[in-house]
Order: sequence, then structure tokens, then C-alpha cells
Amino acid sequence: MDGVTLEIHEGEFTAIVGPSGSGKTTLLNMIGGLDHPTKGTVHINGTDISELSDNEMIDFRLKNIGFVFQAYNLLPVLTAEENTGFIMQLQKRPKSEIKERVHKLMADVGLEDRMHHRPSEMSGGQQQRVAVARALASKPAFILADEPTANLDSSSTNNLLDIMARLNKEENMTFIFSTHDQRVIDKARRIIRIDDGKVISDETDPNK
Amino acid sequence: MLSLLAWRNIWRNRRRSLITMASVLFAVFFAVFLRSMQIGTYDNMIENVVGYYSGYIQVHKQGYWKEQIIDHSVEYSDSLLTYFDQIDGVTQAQPRLESFALGAYQNATKGLMVNGIVPEKEDVMMNLSEQLIAGEYIQSDDKAVILSSGAADYLKLGVGDSLILLSQGYRGVSAIGLYPVRGIVELKSPLLNNNTVFMPLAEAQWFYGAEGRITSYVFLLDGNRDTEDVQQTIQQTLDTTQYEVMDWTEMMPELVQAIEADSTGGQLMLFILYMIITFGIFGTVLMMTAERIHEFGILLSVGMSRLKLGITLVMETVFLAVNGVIAGMIAVTPLVLYFHYNPLRFSGGAREAFEEFGFEPILPASVDPSIWLTHAWIILIIAAVISFYPMYVVFRLKPIDAMRK
Amino acid sequence: MKNIITIAWRNVWRNRLRSGLVITSIALGIWAGLFSISFSYGLNAQRTRNVIQNVISHIQIHHPSFLQDRNAKFVIPQADQITAYLDTAKGVKAYTSRLLINGMASSARGGNGVLITGVNPETEQNVTQIHDQVITGTYFEASYKNQIVLGKRLAEKLNVREKSKIVLTFQDNLGNLVTGAFRVVGIFESSSSKFDEVNVFVKTSDVYNLIGTDGGLHEIAILMKDDEQVEPFTARLSDNFEDSDIETWKEISPELGYADEVMGLFLYLFLTIIMAALAFGIVNTMLMAVLERKRELGMLMAVGMNKKRVFAMILSETVFLAAVGGPIGIAMAFGSVQYFGTTGIDLSLWGEGLKNFGIDTMVYTQLSPEFYPNIGIMVVVTAILSAIYPARKALQLNPNDAIRSI
Repeated sequence: MDGVTLEIHEGEFTAIVGPSGSGKTTLLNMIGGLDHPTKGTVHINGTDISELSDNEMIDFRLKNIGFVFQAYNLLPVLTAEENTGFIMQLQKRPKSEIKERVHKLMADVGLEDRMHHRPSEMSGGQQQRVAVARALASKPAFILADEPTANLDSSSTNNLLDIMARLNKEENMTFIFSTHDQRVIDKARRIIRIDDGKVISDETDPNK
Repeated sequence: MLSLLAWRNIWRNRRRSLITMASVLFAVFFAVFLRSMQIGTYDNMIENVVGYYSGYIQVHKQGYWKEQIIDHSVEYSDSLLTYFDQIDGVTQAQPRLESFALGAYQNATKGLMVNGIVPEKEDVMMNLSEQLIAGEYIQSDDKAVILSSGAADYLKLGVGDSLILLSQGYRGVSAIGLYPVRGIVELKSPLLNNNTVFMPLAEAQWFYGAEGRITSYVFLLDGNRDTEDVQQTIQQTLDTTQYEVMDWTEMMPELVQAIEADSTGGQLMLFILYMIITFGIFGTVLMMTAERIHEFGILLSVGMSRLKLGITLVMETVFLAVNGVIAGMIAVTPLVLYFHYNPLRFSGGAREAFEEFGFEPILPASVDPSIWLTHAWIILIIAAVISFYPMYVVFRLKPIDAMRK
Repeated sequence: MKNIITIAWRNVWRNRLRSGLVITSIALGIWAGLFSISFSYGLNAQRTRNVIQNVISHIQIHHPSFLQDRNAKFVIPQADQITAYLDTAKGVKAYTSRLLINGMASSARGGNGVLITGVNPETEQNVTQIHDQVITGTYFEASYKNQIVLGKRLAEKLNVREKSKIVLTFQDNLGNLVTGAFRVVGIFESSSSKFDEVNVFVKTSDVYNLIGTDGGLHEIAILMKDDEQVEPFTARLSDNFEDSDIETWKEISPELGYADEVMGLFLYLFLTIIMAALAFGIVNTMLMAVLERKRELGMLMAVGMNKKRVFAMILSETVFLAAVGGPIGIAMAFGSVQYFGTTGIDLSLWGEGLKNFGIDTMVYTQLSPEFYPNIGIMVVVTAILSAIYPARKALQLNPNDAIRSI
């Protein structure tokens, strides 16, 4: 990263775009507290996360950040329902609250009939939808999605993006993507282009 | 070429290989240490009883050993002794007259084994004079005795006191004598130390009414002789209807069996240990094979023969084992050497327990290289057998299926 | 925490083969360890029982100086009062009185050192087993005077059989050497050939004539009905009869009791070695299990599973492996110990050598109950210690690296 200053607000549906090696993953990792800038700070909801210790950072992520990764999102030994409620369980929410929210989200992503299936019994697209449901379940400040569609075919991709766009509008949930998938870029409202660690352009389309 | 491949393959997963090697190290370390202590103890015991006392080979009248009574003595032959002395492997042969006697001093009585000996010769074999803890050594023409300390304590006599000896002599004559105690020795074997009396041969012969007779020729052999060879040489020249030639395993089979019984216990323990380690190595190999199925598929597809691949895998397992073995042996050697030169000594209750069973209360370690070799072989065989599994997998593998995984 | 435990448990079964292998090795290791220990204890117990039943009994009473200085004049003080007390004492199964003399037994063939025991045949039968082990002749059932019962090994050595003449030579209470002619009435064979070679039995009454102790006794041996009663009863006896030396079998033969202690120590050492060997396998397995889940673990730490929980998860997985293998091994051990505890193991192969140590060829395995929970604890501790390295490795994973896209 080379002299980047960014502000992202609540409710955004933003894609960070760039070729391989451009630094977009690094940027995303810094936003998510998985990596630290050598110079500069990262503030989330007012908290300077570069000051936090490893353990505090984990805890912060637990409470404030949702993640959807390209792969390996889910615990293979848990069912879709259990995976979805996982973060909330880590947050020690009451069982009834978890159950209610999980059921709602499973419906939102269209997977009520897969609730008791394990990841090995689901397609790639279905697994990513569960990942989204999980990230949302704990009501984080924002959701970071690192190339979530990279391993999916067209129809799964569109499906997933539709769900995320809908949830962005309905729940006012902030989504930040790192991607070089054109379909994602097309759907994004704000596009930040990165190359060689620098921000090349930063455009918002109010119509989306 | 294959071995280079095998060697490098091991180090692909350094941690796992190191841990597997460590487990082999552990097993070898412990196995060699235990066995060397055990065998050291047995050697010591044998040395104390056989080396210092009964001798590795004895010649008696045919049938003497079964019924050890004085009537089964033979006439002493000087020429026979000279002949024995010059046999290859024999340091010296010495005559003895051994029998039982009741020893009494004031109001105490004890059964004793009387040893009529040639003092100078006996000294060469047993270092008897060096084991004196009181008094002096006897000479051939003395009419005095040396008593073992256990017997002396029991009878409550010391140097200068006179011991009454009472027995039944040759052809049933009464044997009675009064002998001053010239010296007291402490014998290493606790059992022997409790009831042994040494007397000059001539005097013993007079005491038992067995002039000119002895019960055995005892042999002291050279350092690294082969007992069997010497025994055979003697047997070939002697008239075996008149004489019997026995080695210590024939004379004291219960000693052999006691050692074997104890040894079996140790071997059982090691068996259990090896079994556990085998599981561990097998688990490692199993996982390694499963992980690399894809890679095997590729190798077979590009043209590596199944045999070559299989051999490489066998070598990997063997290398792991060999490394562990070498490391284990290096690790254990200083410990064994230390205990070889500084045996563990026991005192108090433990000492008594040892002595009750007739063992000197020390734990020395043996440095016999065959111990090292045996356990190296065991591990290698285990490794070789285990490596049949990956071989088997390779031979049954269909490259297409493998590459899908 | 509950969900961590659920996840850990399910993780164990992800790779059934690998977990199965570890569990099997734990179970086998424990079973083998416990079984061999039970074998040793069985061996020892049997030897102790033998010695108590055939030689030393539970309690022995002597004159205080007798054991140091085996002078025939050291007879038990107040012997009559003691026997009267024992006649009415509860808990006493049987008792007998003896004379003990070192001497020589000789025949026309030769002589041998012997311990001459003067017995009262009726009471002696209740306390030792020699009468049952007579293989030729009878146990003092003939009508002639000066009957002697001796061991098979000795009979062979002296070349005597039933009705042969034996001359006994020994010291009387004044220190005079005395000889007496006896006639062999019975020959016995016990489980120890050494015993058979060195012990002869005669009637006390026959000895009195020769030795002149006016009916004094050297030793009273007592068998109690209940092992637990031995120590308290000995204490009571000592209080009542302060002039005599009253000892339990443990005091008479400390190495018997000591053997058990030494063995206990040694066997725990053995178990520790087994645990250590198992630990290698467990560490290796868990390490593999952690490293192959690098991405998954990275993901967990990214989404907010803190280090404590990750550590707990790995630890739980390890403990579960032990918690399955352990009980199986313990159950197998318990079953086999119980089975061979009643049926016994036949050791005829080593028959000869064992006889010299006074051990019968049948051994009954036994294991005191505290071994089971103790080894359970050892297994759990081993599992926990083994888990530390893999769990720390898991914590060292950087969530960032772990999920980096391809």
C-alpha cells in the first residue's frame, strides 16, 4: 500500500478492484484487521484498531466485522444451520435469539431445506450463501468479502450477488468486496480501483 | 537416484519426520538402556558365582554333580592337571575337594560348604586374598581356615577363634576337626558369603579321610575364550565313562533359568514398547501415503515404474527408522558407559531385597555391542514391514483415480 | 464452551482411520501395561502366599535373643500362658509350636546341612501344608519312635527312602554335640526344591529326650483367619506378653513386603514409559490434524474465535482421543485380569527355574483397584501434555496467511 486514504460509510456496497498483485487483498485485510499498515492507522466506528493486541483484535472482529472468504468459510463438521449460528454462539447470545435469527437468514438466502446439511452435501454456491448468512447473523458493522464469487459459476454468482444486494438494502448492511470479477463490479455502487498499492480511481454511481 | 529422492522426500515435512524419528530414538534409547542394565546384572551375577567361584568348566567323576557326596571323589592326578593347564584357552586348572560340614562355635551351629583349595591357584582365580576383610591368607601347609563373613557373623567368631567342623567323610568315616580362623573374606555373592569355608587341600583331604582325592578340577579360562570349544577339547581326550566335563550352564541350570525368567520380563516390556512405536510409525506412513496419492498418480502417469516408486517409499520409511536408531544409540551410549564404569549401588531395604534373591546389590550396564545391534535390527525390520503398505498402495493404484483426489 | 466441545468431538471423527489408529494404540498400550503389571503382582502375591502358608505363617513368637543367636537354650518365656491365650483368642485360625535346630543329617551315603524342625504333628497340619505334600510314606503315622519326614531332594542326595535310617547331629542347650538315629517315615515334595533339600521334620517329643530343654519351645507360629487382623492382633499379643518377641510376616521377611513396594514403583515407571511412547504418536497425529486445517483455523481466528477457544478446541480433540482409547484399554485390562485372575495362567515352560524361587506354575493375575483410576489420570495428563505443542502451533497461525487466496 502506498499512501492510501479512504473513508467508507454505512450502507455502502463497495468493490475494491485491481489486477493480481495490486494490493487489493492487502487493503481488505487491513480493513479487516488481519494485517497492519506499516505507517498510518485504521479506524472502525471510531476505534483505532492498529492499537489493539492480537487477542483484542480477534474479539473486535468477532463483534464488529463479518467475513465471507473465497473458500474454506464453513466448518465441515457443522450443518448449515450450525454454521450460520456460529458467530452468534461465539458471542454467547441466548439460544432462542440464535435460533430465530438463523431461521430468518436461512430463509433470506433461500436455504431453509438445506439447514441440516453439512458443507460436503452442498454446492459451492450454496456454501457461499451460508457464509453470507453467517456473516450477517451477528449484525457486524460491515461485511468484508474477499473474492466471494471466484469459485462459482454464473448462475450461482448472480444468485449470490442478488442476495447480497437485497440484504444491503433491507438491512442497511455495508458490504466491501475485493474482486476482479466483472459481474461483481457491475453490481457495485462504489468502485475503488487500485494498482501498485495506490488508489487509481474512486467512483460512486448513485443509481445502483 | 532413488535414494536421493527418498532422502529429500523425508524432509518435505520436517516436523512430522522429526517427531517420528524422535519416537524411534526414544524406543531405541530405552530398549538399549534397559537391556544393557539387565544383561549387565546377569553378567555380573554369573561372574560372581561362576567366574569367581564355580568356574566356567569343571571336570569331576562321572555322576558326581547329580549327587554331590564325597564318596564320588576321584584320585588326584598331577599329570592330568598339567595336561589341562596347557590346553588352548585355559589359564589354569585347579583341584578342589568340596563337601559339607557342620560348623560350630560355642553355642552356635551352622551348615557350611568346605572348600579344600590350593591357596595360590585359588588366589589367581578368585582374588581371594584381596577379599579378606580381616586376618591373613592361608598357605598350603596351614592347618587353619578362612571363613566367609556371613558365616563368621552368624557364628559370632573372629580371627584367631577356633571353629569346630563336623561331617561325614569318605566311605562313612567320621570327620571332626578344630581349626583356627586365619582370615575372614567377604564374597560378592550373598548366598556364597553366608556359608563358605576355605581350607588348604591337604588338610581337607585329611579331614574327610580322603587322602589323595579331590571332587573337581576347576578351570579358569582366558579372557575371550569360547567355553564350548574348550569343553569339547577336554571331552575329546578324557575317558567320559570315568569323568564328566560340565560347563556352568549344565552345573547350575537354575541360574540359567532364573536369568531367563527375569530376562523374559524385560523383553515383554520392550515388546509392548515396540508395539506402541510401531503403531505410531504406521500412522505416520498411512497419513503420508494418503496425502500423496495425487502425487503418486502424477508420477505413475509420467512414466515412473511402480516398482521404482515403491522402492522409494520403502527407503523413506527405512531412512526415518535408521535416523532414529542412530540418534537413539548415540544418545544412550554415554549413559550406558557411565553405568558400566559406575554401577548403581543399592543400600538399605533395597540392598536386602537383592541379597535375599542372591544378587549383589549393584546395577552395572553391559557394553556388549550385540545389544545395540539387536535393537537396530528390530526397528529396521519393523520399518521394512510397515513400508509394505505404501508399496501395496502403489501397486494397486490407478493413476486416473489418484489424480482426481 | 459447549459448542467448542461439540466441534472438537466431531473433528476427531473427520479422519476415522487416523483417529482409529491412535485410539487403538492407546487402548492396546494401556491394556498391555496393566495386564503385565497384574501378572507381576499375581506372581508376587502367590509367592508371598506360599511363603506364609508353608514357611513363616502370619505371626511368629520367639525368645527375644533367639533370632540373633540360635542357641537352643533361648526358649519362649511364658509359653504356656501364650498357648492358653491363643486357644481362646478370636480370629486365630490355628497355631503350632516348634523347636528349631541347625544340624546335619547323614546317611550311609553322605551328609548334608539341615534345619531340624521339631513339630507337634496335629497342630502343625493346621498351619503348614507339608503333610499334604508327602509323596511317599506318611506324615508321622507310623508307630515307631524317632520318625523323620524329609524332602525329596534331600532323600535323593542321601539316597534314602521310607524306613531308611538317618543320623541327626546337632547341639543341645548346653552346647554339647548330640547325635540321634531317626527312621524315615515320609518324603515330601514342595514347590521349592531348595526347601526340600534343607528341611527335615521330627516330633518335638522325640527331640526333648535328646536335647534336654524340659519342654521349652523355640517358635510359635500363628495363622489368622483374616489378613487384616494380623497387625492388630500382633499388637495385642505384644502388650500381653512383653517378654517375648512377636513379629508379623512382614517383619520376619521384610523383602516380601518390600518386593511389593519396589515393584509398585517400578511398574509406575513402566506405565510412564508407555505413556511417553504413546505421546509421540498423539503429538504427531494432532500436529497433522492441525496443519492440514491451516485454512480452517485461520478462518476461525479471522471470524473471531479467540486464541483461548482455539487452544481449547485442539486440547479437547486430543483429550477425546484419549477418552475413547483409555476406557477401552482399561476395560480390556479389567476383563482380562478378572478372567485370568480366576482361571490362571500356566507357566509350566519355566517350571524348573521357578521352583527354586518357590513359585507355583499357575499364576493368577491381580490388580489393586487404585491402578485403574490412576492410569486413567495418567492417560488424560499425557493427552493434555501432548496437545500443548500442536495447540500452540495452531495459535501461531496467522489468520491472514491462512486464508490468502490462491
